[in-house]
Amino acid sequence: MAETELLRIEDLMLHFRTSQGAVQAVDGVNFELATNRAVVVLGESGCGKSSLAKAILRLLPRNVSRYSGKVFLDGKEVMALNDEKFRKDVRWVGISMVPQAAMNSLNPVMRVGDQVSEPAMIHLGMKKKEALGLASKMFQHVGVPVDFLDRYAFELSGGMRQRVAIAMALVTSPRLILLDEPTSALDVLTQANIFNVLKQIKQNLGISYILITHDIATSSELADDVAVMYAGQIVEVCDAERFFQAPQHPYSRKLMASVPRLRGEQEPEFITGQPPSLLALPQGCRFAPRCPLRFDRCRQDPPVIKKDGRLVKCWKYA
Amino acid sequence: MAAVAQAPDMNANVQVKKKNSSAVWRIVRYALIRLLTLFITVVAGVFLTVMIANMGGYVDRIRMGDIQESVAMGLRGNPAYNALSAEERQKRLDAEIAIQAEAQGLNRPFMVRTFEFMQNAMTLNLGRALKMTSDSGSRQVQAIILERLPPTLLLFGSSNLLLFFAELFVALYLSRRYGSWLDKVFVTLAPVSTAPAWFFGIFLILIFAASLRILPFDGMVDAPVPNNLWDYSLSLLRHMVLPVMAVALNSIFLNIYSWRTFFLIYSSEDYVEMAKAKGLTSQDVERNYVLRPTLPTIITSLALMLIGIWTGYPILETVFNWPGLGRAFYQAIQFFDTPVIVGQTVIFAYLLAITVFLLDFVYALVDPRVRVSQ
Repeated sequence: MAETELLRIEDLMLHFRTSQGAVQAVDGVNFELATNRAVVVLGESGCGKSSLAKAILRLLPRNVSRYSGKVFLDGKEVMALNDEKFRKDVRWVGISMVPQAAMNSLNPVMRVGDQVSEPAMIHLGMKKKEALGLASKMFQHVGVPVDFLDRYAFELSGGMRQRVAIAMALVTSPRLILLDEPTSALDVLTQANIFNVLKQIKQNLGISYILITHDIATSSELADDVAVMYAGQIVEVCDAERFFQAPQHPYSRKLMASVPRLRGEQEPEFITGQPPSLLALPQGCRFAPRCPLRFDRCRQDPPVIKKDGRLVKCWKYA
Repeated sequence: MAAVAQAPDMNANVQVKKKNSSAVWRIVRYALIRLLTLFITVVAGVFLTVMIANMGGYVDRIRMGDIQESVAMGLRGNPAYNALSAEERQKRLDAEIAIQAEAQGLNRPFMVRTFEFMQNAMTLNLGRALKMTSDSGSRQVQAIILERLPPTLLLFGSSNLLLFFAELFVALYLSRRYGSWLDKVFVTLAPVSTAPAWFFGIFLILIFAASLRILPFDGMVDAPVPNNLWDYSLSLLRHMVLPVMAVALNSIFLNIYSWRTFFLIYSSEDYVEMAKAKGLTSQDVERNYVLRPTLPTIITSLALMLIGIWTGYPILETVFNWPGLGRAFYQAIQFFDTPVIVGQTVIFAYLLAITVFLLDFVYALVDPRVRVSQ
């Protein structure tokens, strides 16, 4: 299958200003995503994964000190667009999003049907009735009974809410959906259900995903590619199959080794130390202080090495 | 496309229908219980007011003293009385006092009269004032209150309503521009509003009336009262400027500050961010995702502000000599005019109870989450 590039991110930066100094949440991220593929962004809490999603959709908090880089969507540079144009052309038309906690992401005093149909009215210029019809179609896609359109968020279970959030993300048929830990608040069975829904949607509608998660096991269900994020940077990009067999970056290896296995003698490992504070990052390789394989060169910032279609930011492969 | 997985709570619909039939009964029962508890609260409140306004019966002694004094004064000027022997005079005096006391009901036990007073007050049978009169000379408490109501409504009703919406509007604007210089100005000025309105009133009078002589000191219209409507309105407006300014200074900075903080908290909710991500215009986000979820709080605040006008601004109205309810209340307290105090308080208690009762239903209308718990 010929793959066309859907999203390309070049040197994306998002820094926050805090009382303790600048937080480098997203610090020079590069990656590409083809149509109808799912990339999983893996990483520990606090490594800048969610900030990456926010940076892509330009959902900036008030204390941004630096926001730069280039984001190409379908070959069009969207970072250069003004806010109004970005709102009209990118948000929900090009890229939509499924948030982490759907309970708090649904307006408590609006019927979920209204919330799901809202983007269709704004971006597709639909009348309310038409938009609600579309919303009910989306509800069918994600397995929510159509009469739930009239309900409020608090009348739905956690799994149903997450499905509603997915229906909402689909309603304008965007090219790309950002999934920001879409199942981390749910029980294992519901997680599996949601991932099935996501897989089917991808197959049927040809949508791409950026799945942001720390849950390696469930994410492998959906992943075509894997990007590993550490301290605001992408340290490894690889197709899923090869990644899950043999991750290259020492951090990726440790991350994979920390997943408990059903069979086999191997005890789950953990990574010693804490991820570095995004306020005071170490010189050179950011993983070096915790890396078992570090050597002298790690004191300098490692280059991104490209080999066999894999990217890894480590001196070991230089 | 096949539905991926069916919802486990499909049969919830059947239950919903069953619930609807009993919903009316539930609401009626809820309303009755609510009314009953509110009524008990009002009764307790009125009882306390009657007790306090009578100073636990002390006002009776003051009234007895008044009677004794006036009877003695009256008799002293009577030559026939002066001709009597000391014993006879005392007898005559006592008899006269007893008649007066009986006429005012002071011969009966205080507690009995308290409950009668309460019953009359609760049925809005407000009775006659002890000393105060309306401008038309009526002693009826009802007439006094009805006469004093329009000036208060005019001054504080209009200014408070105007201020309320202006404050909300500015607060919403500042919450959008958190950290801007204008925001900082309001944050810095917030403590200014902690001073009471009459405090500002005194300074405003000093500046604009005494020094600059551009606005009147006090009162509601010029004397003599202008006889055409245009001049009358103009004069009224000129008299309103300073009290309105005092009220504004007393509320505007603090209220804007607290509303702005309130909106700031609610606009950092996840669903507000989602709404932005969905590409809604900032007006839509504000209307449906910030204002709508906070509507119960805003409505409560508005309703309480509106009925709060009833208790008025006793000191501010006194400072500006404004013939409103607040000043009437202040005067009533000065004269120990219990019926006026109780009359105003009873009406306020009823207004408050009715507002609280209605607010419950308004909440249910604007917030679906409340409906369930009802």
